[in-house]
Amino acid sequence: MDFKTLLNQKDFVLLDGAMGTLIQKSGAHYEHSPETLNITAPELITSFHRAYIDAGADIIYANTFGANAYKLDGSGFSVAKIIGAAMQNAHAAADGRALVALDIGPVGMLCEPAGTMTFDRAYDYFCEQLKAGSAADVIVLETMTDLLELKAAILAAREHTDKPILATMTFERDGRTFTGVSPAAFALTATGLGVDALGVNCSLGPDELEPVVMEMTKYTDLPLIVKANAGLPDPNSNTYNILPDRFAACVAALLPYGVKIAGGCCGTTPDYIAKLRGMLADRRYTPCPKTTDTAVCSASVVVEINGPRIIGERINPTGKKVFRQALLDNNIDYILTQALEQINGGAEILDVNVGHPEIDEEQMMTRVLREIQSVCAAPLQIDSTKPTVLEAGLRRYCGKPIVNSVNGEEKSLSAVLPLVKKYGASVVGLTLDENGIPQTAEGRFAIARRIVERAEALGIDRRDVYIDCLTLTVSAEQDACRETLTALHRVKTELGCKTCLGVSNISFGLPNRELVNSVFLTMALEEGLDLPIMNPNIASMTGAVRAYRVLAGIDRHAADFVAAYNDAPAQPVRQPQGDTDLFTAVYSGLKSEGAAATERLLEHEDAMMIVNERLIPALDRVGADFEHKKIFLPQLIQSANTAQVCFEVIKKHLGKTGGGSVSKGKIILATVKGDIHDIGKNIVKTLLDNYGYTVVDLGRDVDPQLIADTAVAQNITAVGLSALMTTTLKSMEDTIRLLRETPALQHPDGSCRVKIMVGGAVLTEEYAAKIGADYYCRDAKESVDTAKRIFGQ
Amino acid sequence: MIQLDRINRAEALRWLGGAHVVPDSRMNMLLDEAEAALLRAARPKYLYKITELPCEMLTHGTDMPKHLEGCNRAVILCATLGAEVDRLIRISQLTDMPRAVVLDALASAMIEQICTEIDALLAQQLPRAYFTFRFSPGYGDYPLRLQRDFLRLLDAPRKIGLTTTDSLLLTPSKSITAAAGISDKPVPRGRRGCAVCNLRETCAYRRKGSHCGF
Repeated sequence: MDFKTLLNQKDFVLLDGAMGTLIQKSGAHYEHSPETLNITAPELITSFHRAYIDAGADIIYANTFGANAYKLDGSGFSVAKIIGAAMQNAHAAADGRALVALDIGPVGMLCEPAGTMTFDRAYDYFCEQLKAGSAADVIVLETMTDLLELKAAILAAREHTDKPILATMTFERDGRTFTGVSPAAFALTATGLGVDALGVNCSLGPDELEPVVMEMTKYTDLPLIVKANAGLPDPNSNTYNILPDRFAACVAALLPYGVKIAGGCCGTTPDYIAKLRGMLADRRYTPCPKTTDTAVCSASVVVEINGPRIIGERINPTGKKVFRQALLDNNIDYILTQALEQINGGAEILDVNVGHPEIDEEQMMTRVLREIQSVCAAPLQIDSTKPTVLEAGLRRYCGKPIVNSVNGEEKSLSAVLPLVKKYGASVVGLTLDENGIPQTAEGRFAIARRIVERAEALGIDRRDVYIDCLTLTVSAEQDACRETLTALHRVKTELGCKTCLGVSNISFGLPNRELVNSVFLTMALEEGLDLPIMNPNIASMTGAVRAYRVLAGIDRHAADFVAAYNDAPAQPVRQPQGDTDLFTAVYSGLKSEGAAATERLLEHEDAMMIVNERLIPALDRVGADFEHKKIFLPQLIQSANTAQVCFEVIKKHLGKTGGGSVSKGKIILATVKGDIHDIGKNIVKTLLDNYGYTVVDLGRDVDPQLIADTAVAQNITAVGLSALMTTTLKSMEDTIRLLRETPALQHPDGSCRVKIMVGGAVLTEEYAAKIGADYYCRDAKESVDTAKRIFGQ
Repeated sequence: MIQLDRINRAEALRWLGGAHVVPDSRMNMLLDEAEAALLRAARPKYLYKITELPCEMLTHGTDMPKHLEGCNRAVILCATLGAEVDRLIRISQLTDMPRAVVLDALASAMIEQICTEIDALLAQQLPRAYFTFRFSPGYGDYPLRLQRDFLRLLDAPRKIGLTTTDSLLLTPSKSITAAAGISDKPVPRGRRGCAVCNLRETCAYRRKGSHCGF
């Protein structure tokens, strides 16, 4: 019997209990990892499987949980060997009486950006396991804590086998996994990716899992799995506090949430499985349909589209010079700041577009998505005209995203919709096709219907298609506004789709655009707009959405509205002292006072004189006081930040008067390959910025080649490298060697034109010299002094 | 379960480079806000195991065996503040660098405090035993690569989500692995110090003839 038949024929499917617990109880000795017992004690493992089958298990998990190349490293056994033996043991025990699952646990290292394991590396580990376990009947992905790692495993499984996939994660008492994944986000994402069943394993005892199961079932129609621990372990005796009878009773209480597959994890034994079997014998499975409308998510935040939600449009280079430059410079921090600003402004979803002819858009999209997801929990909308970019983003996005966009053109429908289906996303459908944008509402509605039909034919739920009826410029075509709104209304009421709309186009060419935009926005909301794509940093626009939600009865008791406008921090706003002098302002880290003082000085003093005779000496004094331990590091940075604000004022002034540039030189900063602890590098960056240098920040865990290439491309003469660990000093040495050996960075006499400064906790002056650095910087302050030496100012 | 409601500020201020200054009111405001945010974000978790000596893992190099001299057992432990703390510090680095620096220092102080709490817990459980200081992979000549063995022995990736990178950085980053000797007789406590510290060459305290307090 295969898994699907089992699922259809039986009310409940019984899994086995813990393998580790039985190994531990048996006192069996193993070297390195318990999976090696597959080879050193096959009879023992087989006997455990048999015990579970005798107790009633329909599916047994082969002893392969940690059998990946990373964890087995040093065990003396290959993945193929261990998994091959495990498969034999399990099948020998099952002998047709039970199905055998290939059990895949987490790799054992953290995915980027919290760790250094790339998505592709995780994917490769899983592929190796899947190939070795080709004899399995079912693929089990369990005890997962990172949603992206789970996604890599699901994709590996779907792309290498057509076997059923069971996915379970492990949750803590706070209802989240270690990395912060919520049950809702997991259910939504895994369902979209096409697993056959999902649920929870390990975690806590079944007595504490009700909130987790309840949340998951709201977001999926799939059968749920519960494979809980036998309660909590006593750290000293290593025994668990829930006995078999109570365990079964607790699982019984979870059945109404759509649990169809049950077993046991840590601490459970064949007794637990036998009791489960007894309990399930006289019960009937009750499916529990999902109760939520369409939703999108990150790993930790689910946004249900059950009322107007703002999609922030600012991460997009179109018409934005600074943004374009940031893309060219690899200045990811700028983009991240844009993301955080929009969230503060009130956006709940962020559109991400990084299309620019001079960059590798695929690579940039995956990098930007990853980095944004590391600091911002809002779900994202992947925006590109290129299907390859969409796929690269979809593959590595953590959660359920929106794809922006598909349209009625055949080429678009056949390229984009299969991606949306495969990766379980939602999609924006633009009502245009080969013939352009139809003039009439009727024409746009017809395209919308075509998109929805095509989506449904592929198995995409129409509620996951968000139709954009397209805003045209009212100053060019005044009546087009009505057509857009009519089409929107019909899509909403007749097709039952969600709608989205870019708002700000409407006012192009008119004065007081903000006013026009916000009135248009309000009109569209009343016609049924769910997802305005707009600039959330404009208070009146975000305000219109918030107010609409109150007036339309969506924001019950105006709770969100009150939270947004009434819960402002009670601290009194500090009035800047009108007459603080520049020195005091910089020294005390008072930004607005510093800006005001600079403005006043600019009225009668030369800009460069202010820089050289006031700002720099103030900073020097702060630096000296820091060195003498009279002030703390944050104060040094506050002062430097204030100086930065003053520099900005001066830059603006010079822009007006056509004076010279204030940048003193360009420096690459990078934390070397393998090193992800970058706060030191970021402190140096802040200070160098503030002292008037232009920093090209390549980030952390940076490949030596990227540093060399950037130095060549941007004609750079100074590079700062940081390493925190003794283990990554080697990377620093490699990077320096590469810089020295890159022909394009050499003077005619063969010497290197790039000056290299290095720093980091474990570095010493001697070691820095030994690996070929030009300068050793003990702390952030010394980095600035070194820059001064390199650039002669 | 260990819950802290205060973080050791003196320790954090030492990381922030001003050991002998009294923080002014602006500095204190920064510390207050960051401490509250950190206590909200942290999910301290730890694991330990008591093992009989000799234990293969603890025989590498000369410094660890010396550290455990006279002990018949050892406790092997790890602890972490969790992934949310890393995220908090990361976000602050983008929006408010001074706050990020303060958070980073407070988090370093906090993970030390958690370990001190574990020490206290152990002392309570083994009232007649004497303990050495905690000694970690990477101290002296005790190889950093054993980080992975510590985590595997304690099943740390699965049980508390603590892992390492290829370059042996612990992730989440505010985490500790260590071993301490257990003896039936009093043991000299002065076994952790400059002699085995990797920072001894660059240490700002040592240059002034002082030490960091360990």
